[in-house]
Amino acid sequence: MARVGVFVCHCGLNIASTVDIEKVVAYARGLPDVVVAEHNLYSCSEEGLSSIRKSIEKNKLDRVVVAACTPRTHEPLFRKTCELAGVNKYLFEFVNIREHCAWIHIKEPLSATDKAEKLIAMGVAKARLLEPQKETESSVIPTAVVIGGGLTGLTAAASLAAQGIDTHLIEREEKLGGVLGDVEVISPEFSKSGDLIGQLVKELKGSRHAKVHLGAKVVAVSGFIGNFEVTVEGKGKQEKIPAGAIILATGAQEFMPKGEYGFKEMPEVVTQLELERRLASGNVPRRAVFIQCVGSRQPGREYCSRICCNASLKNALRIVRTRPDSRVSIIHRDIMSYGTASERLYREASDRGVVFLRYGLERIPKVVRKKDGVVVEVYDETIDEMVDLDTDLVVLATPMVSREDARDLGKLLKVPLDKYGFFLEAHVKLRPVEFATDGVFIAGSARWPSSVTECMGQGLAAAAKASIPIRRGKVVVEAITASADPDRCAACGNCVIACPYEAIEIVEEHGKRYAKVNETKCKGCGTCVAACPNDAMQQRGFTSQQLSSMIDALIKSTEEET
Amino acid sequence: MAEFSPTILAFCCNWCSYAGADLAGVSRLQMPPNIHIIRVMCSASVKPEYVLKAISGGVDGVLVLGCHIGDCHYMTGNHRTAKRMPLVQKVLKEVGIDEKRLRLDWVSASEGEKFQKVVTDFVDEVKQLGPNPMRGVKW
Amino acid sequence: MPKKVVVIGGGIAGIQASLDLADMGFEVHLVERTPSIGGRMAQLDKTFPTNDCSMCILSPKMIMCAGHENVKLHTYSEVEEVRGQFPNLKVRIREKARYVNIAKCTGCGDCIAKCPVKVPDEFEQKLSNRKAIYLPFPQAVPRKVTIDGEVCRMIKTGKCGVCKKVCQAGAIEYDQKDEVVEIDASAIVVATGFDIMDASLLPQYGFGSCKDVVVSLQFERLLSASGPTGGHLTRPSDGRTPKKLAFVQCVGSRDERMHKYCSSVCCMYATKESILAREHVADIDTTIFYMDMRAVGKGFQEFVQRAEKLYGVRYVRSRPASVQPGKDGKGVLVTYETKGLAGEQVTEQFDLLVLCPALLPSRGSKALADRLGLKLDEDGFLVAKDIRHPVDSTRKGVLVCGFACAPMDIPDSVAQASGVAARVAEILQGGG
Repeated sequence: MARVGVFVCHCGLNIASTVDIEKVVAYARGLPDVVVAEHNLYSCSEEGLSSIRKSIEKNKLDRVVVAACTPRTHEPLFRKTCELAGVNKYLFEFVNIREHCAWIHIKEPLSATDKAEKLIAMGVAKARLLEPQKETESSVIPTAVVIGGGLTGLTAAASLAAQGIDTHLIEREEKLGGVLGDVEVISPEFSKSGDLIGQLVKELKGSRHAKVHLGAKVVAVSGFIGNFEVTVEGKGKQEKIPAGAIILATGAQEFMPKGEYGFKEMPEVVTQLELERRLASGNVPRRAVFIQCVGSRQPGREYCSRICCNASLKNALRIVRTRPDSRVSIIHRDIMSYGTASERLYREASDRGVVFLRYGLERIPKVVRKKDGVVVEVYDETIDEMVDLDTDLVVLATPMVSREDARDLGKLLKVPLDKYGFFLEAHVKLRPVEFATDGVFIAGSARWPSSVTECMGQGLAAAAKASIPIRRGKVVVEAITASADPDRCAACGNCVIACPYEAIEIVEEHGKRYAKVNETKCKGCGTCVAACPNDAMQQRGFTSQQLSSMIDALIKSTEEET
Repeated sequence: MAEFSPTILAFCCNWCSYAGADLAGVSRLQMPPNIHIIRVMCSASVKPEYVLKAISGGVDGVLVLGCHIGDCHYMTGNHRTAKRMPLVQKVLKEVGIDEKRLRLDWVSASEGEKFQKVVTDFVDEVKQLGPNPMRGVKW
Repeated sequence: MPKKVVVIGGGIAGIQASLDLADMGFEVHLVERTPSIGGRMAQLDKTFPTNDCSMCILSPKMIMCAGHENVKLHTYSEVEEVRGQFPNLKVRIREKARYVNIAKCTGCGDCIAKCPVKVPDEFEQKLSNRKAIYLPFPQAVPRKVTIDGEVCRMIKTGKCGVCKKVCQAGAIEYDQKDEVVEIDASAIVVATGFDIMDASLLPQYGFGSCKDVVVSLQFERLLSASGPTGGHLTRPSDGRTPKKLAFVQCVGSRDERMHKYCSSVCCMYATKESILAREHVADIDTTIFYMDMRAVGKGFQEFVQRAEKLYGVRYVRSRPASVQPGKDGKGVLVTYETKGLAGEQVTEQFDLLVLCPALLPSRGSKALADRLGLKLDEDGFLVAKDIRHPVDSTRKGVLVCGFACAPMDIPDSVAQASGVAARVAEILQGGG
């Protein structure tokens, strides 16, 4: 007989304001094998955890159910608490009554309370059947792969190499530097981007730990944390690189206007990067008008691309600093000069006579060809008037958009993207450079448009994260792998075909043919389980007995209600 | 008589749809409280037996949610789900249960709103279908 | 022997840097000035743009950090002096007397209940009181009480001793003295975060003179379920639920007379707090007075749109000229100019006004920078070595991250903190 403890979390008022905790706890006490049911204000606080731990010890619990938030963030914490109390961490079951109950039924406290009871009944049913598990450890290939040779990838690769970790940098172009290579100077210091890239490239080339693959494309990725294999193709040959960790730093690209503001029709209308090229070659316009948010912050592409205002401020300053006779205007919706350095640029630009006009989506500016040149007609919200700006050049500040091959790369690496094609990190607040997939990391503008400093910071961050499994030399595989019961297995081979990881083979042992799972290859998806016609294949922690018991519990608790 | 409030079971894969359900919660997207989620690692691990067990036991509807095709954390797992669930629907129909009591859909980790919509729609549909005729049947 | 790294500042940046360094195998000494790690993030109710509960995501990290085999916490401690040169730095840490034996204290709180001395609670932004013996907040790590020697009767006059009487664990030690420890560190990480400008320095905004003017961090506590009002949004003057709420952005920031820079996070947290206010009070009307709506991160524009369309938040581009107390000292009268040069001055009544003051490098960061020999910029933030080394300070072996370098939000701080860990690993490997 199992001895189950149920711990229900108030989460302050997050759960308790909707779910009647006392009632749920009383209900849990009546469930089979439940020895104790308690509640905590914050189960995850040190106080909550220590009270759970004490209860496990005092009541000699051997199964622990916490009804709180989501296992996706909090399971490790409670598992650890179980371990500290001497209970195998796989004897822990999490019930989500916050995200999946209290928060989505705010106005139905009675139903939410009923539902919380049912969810707990299901969790307890499963917990009773849980078994202790041992985790398998696997080794880590002490090599990192960095995909993308722009500023972020260069920074990450240089850091890994400097840490003494063998690193392969994969760049699909023939040169390193990415988008920054098309930019001459970097705000706010106006230092040469070529110097920065040059220094990074020099560091990489001087390191015996770094290998740069130019004109190379990633065509396949297999494996998992510690044991990836990245297939790179280029110059007619293919190379398979074994790696322990992978960093994705493929950057983003400038959005090309689709004819907005006379782009392509009028030679005077250019993008920011075209202006960068002109300024780099000494072609400085006397009069320039920057139009911000071209193709962004509007239906279809709602986001602000973060760095365009700073690019325009920088280039406006380059113009007015070099040509005292210049006349520069920036037409914007909000100037996004967040922080210290950018705000200084904004102030300097204003002080030096750059004119700032504000437009709204209701009345967007027009670029009109007149006899004597180009005129930008803009309704300025601040002064509530139409303003005509004669100019030699119109610079369209367009957003950074995702690379066209981002989705393909996402599929190769099995990592998600958001609706705009930027890669989606594991958690937007606290795991900015990690993916949910272990061993794969994200940095720079491939995740979100980022400034030079931000790209470098993230590149370093990803390098730190990638180095951790490599330094440790091992990863511990979660014990959710599958295995077949040789006595039930008919060696039909359905599972062998079903397994996406080629982790199963039919073997003959002790005169019996059966399906054997390679534990390091198995990723614990359970596909083979559903493919097995004999119920011989079972996934640890998700056995058919355990899941069936949850269904039974739901049926039973529904019947009791009616 | 009180309005029929169906009992619904949902299988959500750990990587996409469970995360989508979490996001719906974090975003406080409100939806009917009829749904009860069982977390599985991949929708491809959902055995037909689970669905049949639930329906024959009186559960009014079963929702199977996975990653979008192409986004499966396990590469091709959900392709199997996509083939398997229509077969289960056929079985249900054969034995006289409206196959609409089983629904398969895809919800990603960033689709809290879609999760809300799928759940709300399905609950409405099952309400239309009325109570599962298997409810209370003793075997 | 693992190399030692001293991390100064136990907010989210310091915690993240510590965790990564510890995972890399370094021996981390995390020094935090207050009695608990957690920093500013611990005071937040929710975080933008997902409205994740701040404590829910922070608390596991705090616990993981404290429980990490390679992390040693020095809370209620300050770095007094750093001698030597990289990579042989001698860091002197003063562990202030808590008058409580940490090994014995169970954090039960019996002493707190009986302590007769009440003082304004810093964690609750002085909206409520704490005792002289206190836990800074319920989820504090370590969960150990501290006696505030400045106000404790026993410490000051020798007359009280109640806490010692009630403590069954025998943890109270009135004669405890500061302790000084010295760490032979190979590198130092500075992650000292931010403080909030005293909004009463700008009297035109009414902070201090109007009861119903609060600053944003106070409002954050008013929203919090574990805050002074138990999560019920009320205004200070009469405890009533506000129905008309306003925020003023850039109070003392982007301001030539005060602080010229932009604090980076106010547009978003004001938007978040507006949404949360609506979730607390279904019929509340909210106005945000702003200069530029700087919603530059992932999902931020959509967040602002959601606030506007679904939560009815009114964004008004204007910098209020003055704030006067409302009738009978309740509510406020805000005078501002409507859009355009042709716009006129209007005065509008609000039940509660939230100021978003400039966020400053934390108090004490100047003195620390002097002690460590680090350069600060004109705004008081730590200066990076050069463009190639964005998380290196101007002193070799001292790395910097988070708000102490420049105003930034949580994910940027977290990323930089991890970045610092990489740099520590690089320089201790022998690289530059």
